[in-house]
Amino acid sequence: MQGIRWDTDFLAALAKAKEAGRPVYQDFWFDG
Amino acid sequence: MNTGPYSEQAVCEFINGNFFPVRTECNWDHPTEAMRRFGVQWTPAFIIHDPDGKEHHRFVGYVPTDDLLAHLWLGRAKISYNSDRHGEAIPLFETVLSRHPAAGAAPEAAFLRGVAGYKESHDPKELRRAYDLLVARYPQSEWARRAEPYSAISL
Repeated sequence: MQGIRWDTDFLAALAKAKEAGRPVYQDFWFDG
Repeated sequence: MNTGPYSEQAVCEFINGNFFPVRTECNWDHPTEAMRRFGVQWTPAFIIHDPDGKEHHRFVGYVPTDDLLAHLWLGRAKISYNSDRHGEAIPLFETVLSRHPAAGAAPEAAFLRGVAGYKESHDPKELRRAYDLLVARYPQSEWARRAEPYSAISL
């Protein structure tokens, strides 16, 4: 199965989003 | 992370196909710049931003698959709604209701679908229909109470 193609750099994801006109889904997580 | 739903193919495909997904690690001992910037007070936390980086939808805490997908559709709908693209928002709100009727986000989608319908058509009956739907399907929700004034609108 192909997993989610995560970015870890918000600004990099935003630059792609702006270019494609697609929204950003941001997941804040904590590995406690 | 919301690891349960992310192990499902349908969730992965939906996120990859409709969003640019980004994950941001948090550290409660040493809060990061991103945590401060976005005001993250608990994890997991999820934000849907438009392509300009403006936040349109946020939810906090573990969400199972049906709730997660409903939030993702609702977030997309709210981007259109908040940009006054009501004709585009309506089918997205309706998708929440048709595909995820039991999800926690569904009552908000029903309310905003009514408002978007009114703004698109200027027909107040759209608000009354939203009220009727909320009372019929989600009578205990806060959104049903918020829609109560629309009960006075004649169909």
